[in-house]
Amino acid sequence: MKKKSTIFAILILLLLVAFICDIFTGNAPISIKEAWSSLFGGSGNVIVDEIIRNYRLPKALTAVIAGSALSVSGLLMQTLFRNPLAGPDVLGVSAGAGLGVALLTMLSGSAVYPFISSMGSMAQVIAAVTGAALVLILILAVSTRIKDSITILVLGMIFGYVASALVTILQSFADPDSLKVFITWTFGNLGDVTWNKMPLLVILVSAGLILAFVLQKALNSLLLGENYAMSAGLNTKRARILIISISAVITGTVTAFTGPIAFVGVVIPHFARAFLGTVNHKTILPATILLGSILMLVCDIVSQVPIANRTLPINAVSAMFGAPMIVWIVLKRKKL
Amino acid sequence: MTCKVSNHICISVLLVCSVIILSRCVSEKKHNKTTEEKGTYLYSEKILYAEGFMVDYYEEYTKVTLNNPWQDNQEPYTVYYLVKNDSVETPPEGVRIAVPITSIAVNTFSYFEFLSLIGNLENVTGVTDGFRIYNPEILEDIKEGKIVDLGDPFNPNIEKTIALNPQAVINSAYAQIDNYSVRLNQAGFPVIYSLEWMENSPLARAEWIKMIAPFFDKMSLADSLFNDIEQRYLAVKEITDEVDQHRTVMTGDIFQGTWYVPGGNSFNAALYRDASLSYRYENNKLSGSIGLDIESVLTQFGETDIWFGCEADSYTELAAKDSKYMLLQPVAYKQVFNNHKRTTKTGGNDYFESAIAQPDLVLSDLVKAAYPDLLPDYSFTYIKPLN
Repeated sequence: MKKKSTIFAILILLLLVAFICDIFTGNAPISIKEAWSSLFGGSGNVIVDEIIRNYRLPKALTAVIAGSALSVSGLLMQTLFRNPLAGPDVLGVSAGAGLGVALLTMLSGSAVYPFISSMGSMAQVIAAVTGAALVLILILAVSTRIKDSITILVLGMIFGYVASALVTILQSFADPDSLKVFITWTFGNLGDVTWNKMPLLVILVSAGLILAFVLQKALNSLLLGENYAMSAGLNTKRARILIISISAVITGTVTAFTGPIAFVGVVIPHFARAFLGTVNHKTILPATILLGSILMLVCDIVSQVPIANRTLPINAVSAMFGAPMIVWIVLKRKKL
Repeated sequence: MTCKVSNHICISVLLVCSVIILSRCVSEKKHNKTTEEKGTYLYSEKILYAEGFMVDYYEEYTKVTLNNPWQDNQEPYTVYYLVKNDSVETPPEGVRIAVPITSIAVNTFSYFEFLSLIGNLENVTGVTDGFRIYNPEILEDIKEGKIVDLGDPFNPNIEKTIALNPQAVINSAYAQIDNYSVRLNQAGFPVIYSLEWMENSPLARAEWIKMIAPFFDKMSLADSLFNDIEQRYLAVKEITDEVDQHRTVMTGDIFQGTWYVPGGNSFNAALYRDASLSYRYENNKLSGSIGLDIESVLTQFGETDIWFGCEADSYTELAAKDSKYMLLQPVAYKQVFNNHKRTTKTGGNDYFESAIAQPDLVLSDLVKAAYPDLLPDYSFTYIKPLN
């Protein structure tokens, strides 16, 4: 118990350090001192204040939200499907969000332009949420009729493949400029969430996270198998629908605001279990949130390293950075 | 069962509701423009070819309006009020900019030549994709650190742009609102949208020099420059009027398995019309491009006389890329041209830069290639025959 609280204390400290480091790193030449005074009071320089307060600060917050949401979503999926490879994207929700954005991008120059333009800068978010919601409705429709979780997993992946196939077809019809606009979205971007979009992201994700905490008992009994869970008095069907809904809503929301971010959701739950040596959700859930946030912040810092004058896509950095970590854990523990 | 179904309906309804709420949360809702003009109207600039912008003069300010190319109603894409005096009042809608501008970030290659012609290239402080730029002066300034490279034009670096503190940023506008421009506007940096690429004729695109000139208070210069451009262009066009037998033309190349050819209402189609060239899709109504596979290209364009815009530099390279190219008649008769006459090693190509402001040279290139006798003393500017 003492060991556990030490680990949590270290993680919280790491999170704070990573958060501050993330605010201190960027492409604009701003000294740590300037950044610090801009955060607490004001640097006296409008440009520095603009970059620190209205760009780096919301970006770091988005990293924390995206990291924790995707990791928790992955944890829920791994527990529900009892599959170590499950992640936030297994339900096809991210692919659905991608389909929404692809449709928006390819159609935006057509007759529906006035409708799209009336949504302003929220258009991409709305399109992604709609796409993700459609896939979720399909999944829920299926899960009320099917008893076996693995079948739902397979169907979710199939929905995902269909959505991806539709995206490919749309891409083949698109002109090169729209194609580039869409491809840029698939790179992922933590910096697109402005302060006026932040409340929506925070509300939707924190509602999901709170519900996940409420469900931790159910999650723990699901670890022993659905039959056991049922005999222990759990309404497995209801629990399943709730878990799927939470996971899909937070994944869909995050993907809508930041674009797809791979790997974090699959890796972090393993990392958390390995770190704390337990599968109990009471411990793993907060650990997953902390570790997911830290990893995402570190990824954001790494992605700021300018290579040939471009920042690296966060979607690639998360995988490049996450992969060696999981390999290290596997080698160390000789199992997942 | 009923419980299940109602559960299901409940969740669906919740989802639909959240989407509706989301769409209600739209922050930058556009106001219906019932602009209350605060100035005394004087006159409007004569725009002869371009449809994308208007310039109106008021006693107090100059109003530059960008039309919305994706919407038929009269609501403009953006309105700029250019003021020379801080105390002047301007209508609340629209973007107010103090002119002349002395520092500008230019995220599109098309404006370098306009700025060079009106003598304001030195005011450029930021560009995107520096390695793909041809303009030697810009390249020199990047090397010396006078110009900052902001990265990918589709996703420029926000921090660097803000840190640069430019008085305005020229950014390509697409049908979708981009987060980069939204952010810059929120941070108080006016974005001048580049929409000249939506124009469908070479003179219309070149006329956009009149859109950018008022921001530097150089309108009369731009006006006389454009008159010269127009005269030179029309002179070349007139030469081709005497051609009886129009030669046929094909264009483009394979990109990721698709061969994009211009629609009949496009910039390139207009150029072929003016060069007295016959193009298979000249009566087509599209202004964008049409994607074809290699089989359609072979059947539709196999027998044409000339091929412009090939990506290869030599016939050997072409044969090595795909032997099917050899089936095209222009390849057999060695009538293939690329746009690689003025390029840099790292990918800069003047065909995407100065050509927009020099449509007469672009037209002359085509005429020289198709009907060499009509322009005996001219030598190619942007295009060159394959080796």
